Amino acid sequence: MLHLLKYSFLSKVRNFNIIFWPLVFPLVLGTFFYFAFGNINEADFQTVPVAVVKEDSADPFFMTYLDEVKKSSPDLLKAEEMPEKEALEALQDKKVKGIYYVGKEPSLTVAGTGMEESILQTVLDSCENTRMTITNIMEKNPQMDVETMKTLLSSGSLVKEVSLGGRTIDGNVQFFYALIAMACLYGCFIGFGSAMGIQANITPLAARRCVTPTHKLKLILTDQLASFALGYVDVIILILYLRYILNLDFQGQMGKMLVVSFFGSLIGVSMGMFIGSFGKMQEGAKIGIMLGISMVSSFLAGLMNGNMKDMVEKSAPFVNRINPASLIADAFYCINVYDDTARYYRSLATLAVMCVVLVMASFFMVRRERYDSI
Amino acid sequence: MPQGMVHIENLVKRYGDLTALNHLDLDIREGEIFGLLGPNGSGKTTAISCLLSLLKYDRGQVEIFGEEMKPDSYKIKEQIGIVLQNIAVFEELTVQENIDYFCGLYIRDKKRRKELVEEAIEFTGLEDFRKMHPKKLSGGLLRRLNIACGIAHKPRLIIMDEPTVAVDPQSRNKILEGIQTLNRQGSTIIYTSHYMEEVEQICTRIAIMDHGRVIAQGTKEELKQMIKTGETITVEAIALEEKNLQDIRTLDHVFDVQYEKQVLIVRCTDAKHNLIRLLNYLQSQDISFGRVFSELPTLNDVFLEITGKQLRD
Repeated sequence: MLHLLKYSFLSKVRNFNIIFWPLVFPLVLGTFFYFAFGNINEADFQTVPVAVVKEDSADPFFMTYLDEVKKSSPDLLKAEEMPEKEALEALQDKKVKGIYYVGKEPSLTVAGTGMEESILQTVLDSCENTRMTITNIMEKNPQMDVETMKTLLSSGSLVKEVSLGGRTIDGNVQFFYALIAMACLYGCFIGFGSAMGIQANITPLAARRCVTPTHKLKLILTDQLASFALGYVDVIILILYLRYILNLDFQGQMGKMLVVSFFGSLIGVSMGMFIGSFGKMQEGAKIGIMLGISMVSSFLAGLMNGNMKDMVEKSAPFVNRINPASLIADAFYCINVYDDTARYYRSLATLAVMCVVLVMASFFMVRRERYDSI
Repeated sequence: MPQGMVHIENLVKRYGDLTALNHLDLDIREGEIFGLLGPNGSGKTTAISCLLSLLKYDRGQVEIFGEEMKPDSYKIKEQIGIVLQNIAVFEELTVQENIDYFCGLYIRDKKRRKELVEEAIEFTGLEDFRKMHPKKLSGGLLRRLNIACGIAHKPRLIIMDEPTVAVDPQSRNKILEGIQTLNRQGSTIIYTSHYMEEVEQICTRIAIMDHGRVIAQGTKEELKQMIKTGETITVEAIALEEKNLQDIRTLDHVFDVQYEKQVLIVRCTDAKHNLIRLLNYLQSQDISFGRVFSELPTLNDVFLEITGKQLRD
């Protein structure tokens, strides 16, 4: 048994397709994801230099608002009062990104379009919104105290996004859940090789193995065991890479994530075994079916569009109940976002049942003892 | 009459309307190198697949070592080694690992297995290639690896299905010598091929197959005695008229004369002085000619006389 396991494992580990699709490809894709948007929340903005030209009828509210912005977000703006001529020269020389004209109605002059100019416009709009809010409140509550007024003037966010489970949602993490789900499903390449290598009517290697005195059941089981182990190790490597190399913050327990990955890798490998057992169909056609199922499944789970899973949930919820990638991603959500134990176990149970069905079906297909043709 | 080590009786295998094996009977005795000779598509590989219980068959009986051969006849399988027509090794494993893997499917004892693997490597001359992967091996070396994987466990019966296909002459000779050595060491060998020279060279008994049935069986001498041809004389670059051909046909022991593109082929029954009689005639008619060959009958002649077609057709 150990002899069979050793060589089954060795032959799989050294096979390019078996290593590339379930392991290397997700690692590369994960790295791309990370550089594309994984770090966007920590983007390093430069402080925006802006000139302030005070006119005779300068609006004191805007000046107070600018002071509050400087205090609450000191890195956001570097505002400097200067005469109009000097301000225009500075704008021309690109020493400042814009000029606030503070008259009766504050206005903004910029020399281009971009993120910094947008920030200046946002500050101006925000000031106007705050002025309107305070005006409305003062009309209804003329006794408002100074502290409340200051709070309203501060530019800090009053809203914090918190999940139902009490954990902060990072919108980008969902892509990585779908990526892990995809890696699990790509374990199908491992299972596929196992199924192909045991059918005497498909490969000479399988024919040679089938005429040896080693029981066919033993050959099948050791191959399946090695495939499941390898598929699981691949997914663990991916999770550890995402967590400790790319420093993604999966907020849930790592132990529970590994349980999901276990069932996920089982479903991927089982699917490959099942498709590999489809008799004498062309190998290319089988691989096409596998890739198609894996990609569509991952797409519907939100690999390419973060809203996809929700859209499917609204229009065809049944698909999310049977889509293995959605079930895997959903189980990750249950751990890291919802903290919904019942839903977590339901996802795992569904995956387990699907695995058993696929493994049994493929076993009955490949256990044939004699073939009609070779 | 006692049955041989391998006994196939009345075996019928059909693929739809095509009858691949047509009431095939074979009896292979212990210690033989038994050759199954026939053109491509004659049913040799199908017969081997049925013998190994890989293929379903419609009718008939297969016995090995006196017991019915079934897919779960593991006791029988323990004593069989198989070398398939197609290379059947793991691309991802080295030469040594491949041999060790297949040997391990038969031999559980690790120490014994190690010895057997070493012997197989030495026997097939793969010592310098043991750490190499199959992709790096030449065609001949790959064939040798294929053989090593099939014989490492020292089986009592070795079945080789066209093991020399697409192999250079040097490697082919080594393989054929190896097969004879295995036979001397005690293995019974079933050897299928469409190369009559190979079969003639190494097999102690031969069955000639065509259209899924055995058309002749025996030692090569017995087979050659079954046919009329005792000698084939070929004369090149000769100009003959119809009258000359008629005269040659009347010579003693001549039973077939063919003349095409200035090449004369005369088949005679097994008798002495056929060549001298023919040359005397040509001299008497003052007919000049080029090279002259005299050949004893081959298995191709056997096949030709029985089926009316060349073995290589």
